[in-house]
Amino acid sequence: MAEIRDKIREFVSETAQSRGLTNVTDSESLIENGVIDSLTIFRLVSFLEDNFGVRIGDEEIVNDNFQSVDTIESFVADKLSKKRSPVQRG
Amino acid sequence: MAYLLQQLLTRSASKHPDKTAVWARGRSLTYRELEERSNQLAHLLRKHGIHKGDRVGIYFPKAVESLVSMFGVLKAGGIYVPLDPQQPAQRIQYIIDNCSIRALVTTREKLQSLDREAIQSVQFSVLTDSSSGAEKTNPRGIFWEELANFPAETAPEDLQFTTLDLAYILYTSGSTGRPKGVMLSHQNALTFIEWCAGTFQIQSEDRLSSHAPLHFDLSVFDIYNAIEAGATVYMVPDDALLFPATLAKFIAGQGISVWYSVPSALVHLVLHGNLKAQNLERLRLLLFAGEVFPIKYLRQLAELLPQVELYNLYGPTETNVCTYYRVDRTKLASMEKIPIGRACANTEVFAVDEQRRLIQPGQTGELYVRGPSVTNGYWGDPEKTRQMVVSNYFQTHYSEQMYRTGDLVILREDGDYDFVGRRDSQIKSRGYRIELGEIETALLSHPAVKEVAVVAIPDEEISNRIKAVVSVHDGATLTVTHLQQHCAQRVPKYMMPDVIEFREVLPKTSTGKLDRVVLAVQR
Repeated sequence: MAEIRDKIREFVSETAQSRGLTNVTDSESLIENGVIDSLTIFRLVSFLEDNFGVRIGDEEIVNDNFQSVDTIESFVADKLSKKRSPVQRG
Repeated sequence: MAYLLQQLLTRSASKHPDKTAVWARGRSLTYRELEERSNQLAHLLRKHGIHKGDRVGIYFPKAVESLVSMFGVLKAGGIYVPLDPQQPAQRIQYIIDNCSIRALVTTREKLQSLDREAIQSVQFSVLTDSSSGAEKTNPRGIFWEELANFPAETAPEDLQFTTLDLAYILYTSGSTGRPKGVMLSHQNALTFIEWCAGTFQIQSEDRLSSHAPLHFDLSVFDIYNAIEAGATVYMVPDDALLFPATLAKFIAGQGISVWYSVPSALVHLVLHGNLKAQNLERLRLLLFAGEVFPIKYLRQLAELLPQVELYNLYGPTETNVCTYYRVDRTKLASMEKIPIGRACANTEVFAVDEQRRLIQPGQTGELYVRGPSVTNGYWGDPEKTRQMVVSNYFQTHYSEQMYRTGDLVILREDGDYDFVGRRDSQIKSRGYRIELGEIETALLSHPAVKEVAVVAIPDEEISNRIKAVVSVHDGATLTVTHLQQHCAQRVPKYMMPDVIEFREVLPKTSTGKLDRVVLAVQR
């Protein structure tokens, strides 16, 4: 899963830098530090869809999934595992 | 009839003392509590040296204390200045210095983000967060708990007010590179609020959303019209501002009946809010302003919300709202764009051509506004004031000011106006008013930058995206990231260029000026 994390970090650090922020940790709130805002959230969603081949529904674009690098990673990993084994789909 | 904004609160507090006035972040205040806390804050501010006409900054994320602060400052005779907690410290420091803010209502964290040297005018601050773990702050911090030591029953009574006194100053982007402070009086605000109260019939049962930040004039409606009617204002939580599906649930869950925001927020709601899944039957009125609502998305919104009345409001901060258009659903399918409509009560609008003649139907001209909602001008900037707030040359019977909006409009055959564009380089992006010159100034202040042109690229969802084209001095090196960081310290996020492009030379017109037309077309 290191690959997923690295990709997400890439997006986060690029956005953070453009906002004048450095050293964003994997657990810190991307909403509080301003990396994710109404301008970047849909860019991030497209980035994840394009890079991981997942489809993210509007109902999934919520705080719980997008709070930090950690939560985004587990959200994406979860989607990928469901994609690989469609039987488990609820 | 109220002639001061704080009278709206005092009147509603006596009619509906136990009703909820404001809800934010899971906390709320009743009308009695809001009235009493703001009386106490007024006494506290007076005791610490705030005099009539002193500026007081309100500098913390929206909370129930925001309303206590606004009314507390007004009751103390002060003028409040909302300072956006998300903007770079440098810009906030400029504003504090520009209008000599004497006191701040803030949090310890926000206070510490400012450079003490840059805010010499501030003599003390009132800290809205708890006093636990208090360390010494500079300037002197007074804790919120101290409000309890002041009289709650009535506001200070030794002050003389008139409706023409300034109530608040809203800072907006300035073309010369610095924000400018629009001065608004009680009368300016009340002219708009009373027109809204009559037109939209806001009742005490209504629940109004507060989506716009306090430094943005859309918030004037949310807060004061809720208070005027004895209704409740719900501050939209941070996560709902970001996530459309969360916002849709918030509107449904809180039973919001009156909504006001920029179109961009509504476009996001249409595209990603999954509105069909929500029960929005309490929503009865939806107002939008600040930018052109793309007609395609307005049609979709109207279909999703069949019971809701929709209004397009128009007006620069300098005039509050000056025109309105009630969306006629039967015409929506055949409409190409939504008009800005016609003048609100007690306001007159007209458009003139380059020879200063009133335009006729079908013609284009610059829109002017006159009436009691029009600002007296910009704080500490008589030159800019003279340019924009001009004497009414259509009549000579008495002296009267009118505001040049800089907006080009077409007068339609039916008497409504259509917005066409700007006379200058001001743009709207996500409803925010942006002077491209302010971004250019921020970029040019980097020592390696030689020339810069900032241009707007039209965008369907957010009105405009921002592109900066930059050349650097010979021998200098500069990366996009480095320049972005430089810019982020000087302008708010919504002014950050979406694209920065480096070129060896910038294209020029035959007169040697930067050719912005060419730059805007080359994508």
